[in-house]
Amino acid sequence: MKFGNLVIAGLVTGSIYAVFAVCVAVWYRVSNILNLAVGDFAMVGALGVDNLYRVKGLPLWAAIVTTLAVVGVFSYLYDQVVLRIALDGRRQMEGIVVTFFFTFALSFFIDGVAKMLFGTDVHAAPALWNGASLSWGSLHLERAGLLVLVCAVIIGGAFWVYIRYTLGGKAMEASGENAIGARIAGIDTRRYRRLIFVGTAVIAAIFGIVESPITGYTYLSGATISLTGFLAAAYGGFRKPGRALVAGLAIGVLEALLGGYVSAEYGDTVLYAILAALVLAWPRGLGFESAVTQ
Amino acid sequence: MTGLGGFARRTERTGLAGLDGLTGVSSRLPRSLTPTAVVLVVGAVIVLVYGQQYTGSVFVLAACYAIVTAGMAVQIGFSQQIAFSQSVFMGVGAYGVAMLNTHFAMPVLVATPIVLVGAGLVALLLGSVVTRASGLALAVATLMLPLIAAGYVSSAGYLGGVVGAPLTGTLWPSSSSTSTTVIAVAGGLIVVVFLAIAVFVASRILTSDIGLELFVLGVDERTAAAMGVRTPRRKLELFVLGCVFAALGGAAYAGTQQFVPETLVDPTSELALLIMLFIGGRRSIIGAVIGALVIQYLQGASNWVSVNILVVEGVLLTVVLLVDPEGLAGIVNTGMAWLRQRRGAAGAAAGPGASGEAVAGDAPLTARAGGQWAADHGGAASAALAGAAESAAGAGGAGVALLECRGIGKEYGGLTVLDDVTIKLPERGLFGLCGPNGAGKTTLLNVIGGSVPPGRGTVILDGADITRRPPQERFHLGISRTFQAVHLIKGRTVLDNVAVACLASHTSSIVTRVARSKLDDARDKAARTLSDLGMRGIQDREVSSLTLESQRMVELARALAANPRLLLLDEPASGLSEEQRHRLAELLTAFGERTCVLLVEHDLDLVAQVSERIFVLSSGRLVFDGGPADFRASPVVNSLLVGL
Repeated sequence: MKFGNLVIAGLVTGSIYAVFAVCVAVWYRVSNILNLAVGDFAMVGALGVDNLYRVKGLPLWAAIVTTLAVVGVFSYLYDQVVLRIALDGRRQMEGIVVTFFFTFALSFFIDGVAKMLFGTDVHAAPALWNGASLSWGSLHLERAGLLVLVCAVIIGGAFWVYIRYTLGGKAMEASGENAIGARIAGIDTRRYRRLIFVGTAVIAAIFGIVESPITGYTYLSGATISLTGFLAAAYGGFRKPGRALVAGLAIGVLEALLGGYVSAEYGDTVLYAILAALVLAWPRGLGFESAVTQ
Repeated sequence: MTGLGGFARRTERTGLAGLDGLTGVSSRLPRSLTPTAVVLVVGAVIVLVYGQQYTGSVFVLAACYAIVTAGMAVQIGFSQQIAFSQSVFMGVGAYGVAMLNTHFAMPVLVATPIVLVGAGLVALLLGSVVTRASGLALAVATLMLPLIAAGYVSSAGYLGGVVGAPLTGTLWPSSSSTSTTVIAVAGGLIVVVFLAIAVFVASRILTSDIGLELFVLGVDERTAAAMGVRTPRRKLELFVLGCVFAALGGAAYAGTQQFVPETLVDPTSELALLIMLFIGGRRSIIGAVIGALVIQYLQGASNWVSVNILVVEGVLLTVVLLVDPEGLAGIVNTGMAWLRQRRGAAGAAAGPGASGEAVAGDAPLTARAGGQWAADHGGAASAALAGAAESAAGAGGAGVALLECRGIGKEYGGLTVLDDVTIKLPERGLFGLCGPNGAGKTTLLNVIGGSVPPGRGTVILDGADITRRPPQERFHLGISRTFQAVHLIKGRTVLDNVAVACLASHTSSIVTRVARSKLDDARDKAARTLSDLGMRGIQDREVSSLTLESQRMVELARALAANPRLLLLDEPASGLSEEQRHRLAELLTAFGERTCVLLVEHDLDLVAQVSERIFVLSSGRLVFDGGPADFRASPVVNSLLVGL
């Protein structure tokens, strides 16, 4: 049952990619900004809880609540100060290149602060669901892995339902499609931008807490996590959380299968080469807009 | 953001903007020599004074990175081709030199050119695949490169794996008896020379006619192709240029550090390079160099700053971008423009003559140039078209159709947009193309212009089948067009916008223009067209500061400047007032006497007034083809377009 176990392992890794891809895709949809800092919020969630619980001795629930509150308040303030000046100011930033570099700078800043607060070692939040791994015959799944998988499906599904079936989701979509038009129709585009920014930051932090027992985080993990999420989001056309979820899971499974059957050492290389070839072969099918400049 | 301040800032933002301000040279002098000289002199002084100290070594390391960021400013900043290949090719340069040095005992200075050629060839191969992608697709496809390279390097034993690769040689050819001071100082001087060469080449490209091509390419690939820019070739050249610069930076790094760490090809060093570029100023060569210096200086400071470099970089990048998206170079430019404006204001107060020209240049166009068209359109516009007439007379015999569209069909996902459309246009005359919204007018124009391939049918220009030719080739065959929405190049003057259509550089390679630019020739030609159209007064204005009418006129001028044989105009009158339409109609009539014009327009009166023949499309089918008198009387036309 090598294949089955590889698929399970791939789904767990893939759900990590998927969640960050969904977060990237949803905020891109509302604001037309690619958020490179989303992985850093996950890192803060994991290392923050670990630090408060293990080092400062807070009860686990208090550590989680405090960390999430800090992430929420910080992302709110960032939106109110930096994004407000950059996007709503006298001279508005245009194009996804420059705006991308704001989240890029944010990512560096968060990493730097995390290094000051948490040091440079690998840590993880305590596992939320302890016990022996679950088995069906020869198939095995860690409890933490199941938790991650369930979280990913819930987060991705919730966003999909929100966008597809609720008025708020439609308004959010309109904010990204045409901000001026949306404002004329009475939609507070800034509110949606802020809501989703803070929301995805907190979701990323929660997911970081749930996921960190599997991979372990350092202060530098954020950018790597964002990049993988970013990639999965790219294969979901950057705007579609549902497709981003599927793309994330598919990349995870592909990675596990390549690692298991092709080469443990060069599996990732082959994976990246396949992904690059896909972009070059079907840029339009994958939903790449030539939106870099305008 | 109108007014003199905004205008001055925006025009100067482009290209090597900062240099005028920094050195006080006028724009008439070859601007690219100044930054090169500054880099060479300042760099040499720093190396000679601090060479053997820690500051000197930090500076030399920064100069290695600056070589890379100078290439990035051309490729990523100026031409907006976002490719994440720099750290990988820095690795190619560094590891290449290290391998040749260790295994073949080759001196670093000999190994460097060999490695550069090798890197160029690899980049050519890789680039011919990845540069087929545009925009985000290019960014994502090349994002894989550092990921692949990082995995490869850490497991490749002969490259030293995670330990890294040491060099036995140094950049300055040395033996065991050479003192470390000589090695450090002489090596540093060589890096400074490398950097000066990089800055020279990059600046020359940006200020040449190819620089203008690249700027258009960066703003909008489609417009660039319509203006004759061979976009696939330019994108490939930019990719190779960026890679070769990166390899040179890598070789210099290996030669001066005498060690290649595995982290050089890490994705994080790609991010570090991007930070340098964006802090310094993405479109400015000097900005990119300064960005590398600032970041490396902060990292090498060995105090609180270098320990918490991530926080410092994050805050610095945020603040700089908030103040000016063009980075430190943009901030310096704004400051310089402000100073100059103040000085100008003082001069104006002292003597009104001093700044008279600037004031005249800022007067509203419509008041002056509009009157001028009315007065001149007969003679002047004809003069503008004299060249077109000559080329038309020279080619093709009498009675042969200039353009023939045979049975053109086009579907978008099952929806038929064009269905068996056949039209023929002669050498000269003005032809209207009308139809309700969604009838396929613009699609037909795109099929003729080459930006949309037809599903069925052939497009024949002058007897030759051009159905499969790309837009840039059709431009060279004499097809020129305007767009429904104004597609001017923001951030450039009217003169440069028109000069885009007069460039003679399309067949030249990007490096040949380092020796000699023909941008001035193109600008002269553009200036002639503009003055023929009575638009000389606005030629130094930045285009987004113009009224809609003037912008449309600039587009017309641009389409005319290439002396087209076939002029495709997509709703030139939309958004114009009654009076402006009147002036436009007179101008169009003059055009039609000299060349072949196909005019898509909603204003039926205007079409009937100027056209000698009118085509009407409805749901993709040609439903009317006749003269203006029949057009007004036709029941088909009336029911479709007038609603009678």
